[in-house]
Amino acid sequence: MVSENKSDCIENFSKKNVYILGGAQTDFQRNWNKEGKNVIALLRENIFDALKNTGISKNEIKKLNEENRVAIFVGNFISENYINQGHLGALLTEVDPLFYGLPSARYEAACASGSVAIDAASSKIKDGTYDLAIVIGFEIMKTVSSKEGGNFLGKAAYYEEEAKNIELPFPKLFAKLADEIIIKYKLDEKRFLNNLSKISYINYSNAKRNNLAQTRNWYIDEKQTMNRGTKTNPIIGGKLSLTDCSQITDGAATIILCSNKYKKEKNSNTNVIIKGFGHRVAPMLFDKKMQESENSQFILPWTRRACEEAYNRANLTVNDINVFETHDCFTSSEYAAISCFGITEPGKEYEAIENNIIDFNGSKPINPSGGLIGCGHPVGASGVRMMLDLYKQVTNTAGDYQIKNAKNAMMLNIGGSATTNFAYIVGQED
Amino acid sequence: MIKTVTILGANGTMGRNISAIFASFGQAKVFLACRTKEKAEKAVENAYNSIRSESILCNLIPITYDEIEYAIKESDLILEVLMEDLEIKKNMYKKIIPYIKDNAIIASGTSGLSIKELSKEFKDKAQNFFGIHMFNPPYNLTLCELIIHDSKQENLAQQLADYLSNNLKRTVIKVKDKPAFLSNRIGFFFINESLKLANENIDEGGIDYIDAILGCFTGRNMPPLTTADFVGLDISKAIIDYVYENTNDIFRNSFEMPSYVNKLIENGKIGKKANMGLFYQNDDTKLNYVYDIKMDTYRPKNNYEFYFSNEMIKNIKIGKYEEAIQTLIEDESHEAIICKTMILKYIIYSLYITDDIAYDINACDDAMVTGFSWLPPIAWINILGEKNKIVELSEKYLDKKWVEIIKNKKFFEKIPAKSKYDYRHFLKAKY
Repeated sequence: MVSENKSDCIENFSKKNVYILGGAQTDFQRNWNKEGKNVIALLRENIFDALKNTGISKNEIKKLNEENRVAIFVGNFISENYINQGHLGALLTEVDPLFYGLPSARYEAACASGSVAIDAASSKIKDGTYDLAIVIGFEIMKTVSSKEGGNFLGKAAYYEEEAKNIELPFPKLFAKLADEIIIKYKLDEKRFLNNLSKISYINYSNAKRNNLAQTRNWYIDEKQTMNRGTKTNPIIGGKLSLTDCSQITDGAATIILCSNKYKKEKNSNTNVIIKGFGHRVAPMLFDKKMQESENSQFILPWTRRACEEAYNRANLTVNDINVFETHDCFTSSEYAAISCFGITEPGKEYEAIENNIIDFNGSKPINPSGGLIGCGHPVGASGVRMMLDLYKQVTNTAGDYQIKNAKNAMMLNIGGSATTNFAYIVGQED
Repeated sequence: MIKTVTILGANGTMGRNISAIFASFGQAKVFLACRTKEKAEKAVENAYNSIRSESILCNLIPITYDEIEYAIKESDLILEVLMEDLEIKKNMYKKIIPYIKDNAIIASGTSGLSIKELSKEFKDKAQNFFGIHMFNPPYNLTLCELIIHDSKQENLAQQLADYLSNNLKRTVIKVKDKPAFLSNRIGFFFINESLKLANENIDEGGIDYIDAILGCFTGRNMPPLTTADFVGLDISKAIIDYVYENTNDIFRNSFEMPSYVNKLIENGKIGKKANMGLFYQNDDTKLNYVYDIKMDTYRPKNNYEFYFSNEMIKNIKIGKYEEAIQTLIEDESHEAIICKTMILKYIIYSLYITDDIAYDINACDDAMVTGFSWLPPIAWINILGEKNKIVELSEKYLDKKWVEIIKNKKFFEKIPAKSKYDYRHFLKAKY
């Protein structure tokens, strides 16, 4: 049983700030395999773009490394399968001799791998171990067929129980979530599916403003997202169609975090900090999740707890958040996230959708980047990509997808069937 | 402003794919006009499949030329994409002229014929006539050349350009009514120069040898002679000959088609669509063959490898682009010199001809990226090391004709300092 009382774990979330200096994202439209390029090229382009964007020179990294003040945190889910490569922290030494000796390791929590890498990095900044942390998340996924890739991703579930010998297990799990939402909140099925269509349509539409989004040049209209089970929008699992699913994407995202000490040395005027986080792990098996949530108002109570605790640590509420990036691996996961963020009461998520609250021009915009559906979902990169997008929003550097006057931004990154739940709040320092 | 569109000749690949672009991004009601209803209905199905969205079905209306009257009367834009034959086009124009609305825009999708010449058919409506030249498949290649045949069209041209870019999401470049327009003029300059090079290097292997020197590692999805074969030697010839016959500048000889290509075409060996052209693949064994110019017969295709290209590919594979380019600059093998020469000619010719044909010199990058998916000329300047480096390399590898162009102070100053395109994804780690 999950307690829904305000968590009493608002411990002394250390007052030592973790600053975000910026970062870089690769163009999610690219197919690296088709370009004949390997993981080293992906990492090299992305990490050096990030250093360039943040004005950090190779010499500076060299010096910091000499003083043992810099480390790299790699987020990746399953490159052992996609590209036959493990030991990803060490792999960076192949990118450049600059990284010889530099402490670096890989962090994994399925699609929340990026978030756990950020978490490790920010902890090491907070406790004073390092002054600069480079967090790079990546996944190369277009090396195999969607069926084979679907099987790899199935390992984010309890494979033997939920994925073995099942084609495309994850669409089926999130279709189950859609079914459970209908039952739990006694929703009208047609209306609910139209709500999911709207979520898909908003994400695709937002992606058109983002010149790094995978689907920015695609044509998807609202009608296409509503017509499920057609030739061009086939059912992928349960009630969910192609337009309800996120993309298969190659890509990397890097953010660079630093301590106050480094910020002062660098004379950096960044005032963007990680204000709070929440990290909760739900039962791995989807059925157990549902059993456990029977007595909760929330269908994903641990996802809600992660958000709540991020608010508490940041000492903020939903009213303070101007923009959200969420984990729309499927439309059903974004639907459930709406109440987890506190935008609506649980069971009333449709209000936010139907009243245009989560639209680009709404009062609580979700995924101005296009999210995992529109921007793309290189699984190990997504958490880092989200935080980079929060950074862009609160520094007014998001270009065409900028939300006006964004001061605080929040993200939710999940792994598995909402098993690992990671929420972050990023904003300008008061 | 544009609510209804008629596409004349919608059963062709280009016709149906363009129909889908108007029906989707443009949200226009589109009449797909063909000779028979069956063809028109097939075109509708192909059209929505080309953008993978059944949602536009209600915007796609199949009609025959017998029913053309009501469609034309309603249309705000009429786009003709019939065969590249002046008479066929003009006959169709005669048929529709009585029904065209006063303010309707009329356009031809021709990739070669003179827009001025075609416009004459419309007499007092000639001001409303444009060339709208798109590339196939338009869902992936967003280039749209808007051809203006009269300076009085400027206002309307701007409105149309805005529609094409804002509504249809095209990369629009305004160009003058000059042979082959811009993108094909540059692309087929490069292709014909490559065809000629194959002839000049017959002892080294010819066609497959040149394709290996100018492979994907030089910033393209497909080597140039493979591209010509893919497009069709007949179509390539039509464009190349047209430029040759209708220009008289210092680059005219670059469009003189080598005789071996003409011979292949005469024998019906027109390329991939006939599974016989510069290349052919044995249906049973799947082995690849190439036409050997010297032997005048097909032989197994060689997988040529050179030191410079191997080194480039090795570096591109791991994202060391600068090192790859350095190898190209430093290597002095026969092959590397051919490669450098062609890249330099591509850069200089593109800028030279863009200055003549387009209204903005940056258009050359848009043209080559969104029409051919080639690494664009200005981005090449950025990779090779800025404008002065191009002058230096040209003095080393090109003859006087080229050097004079680039060294012309006025011309040099016009060259933009930086491309808006990131060059990295164009460089492929393969031949």
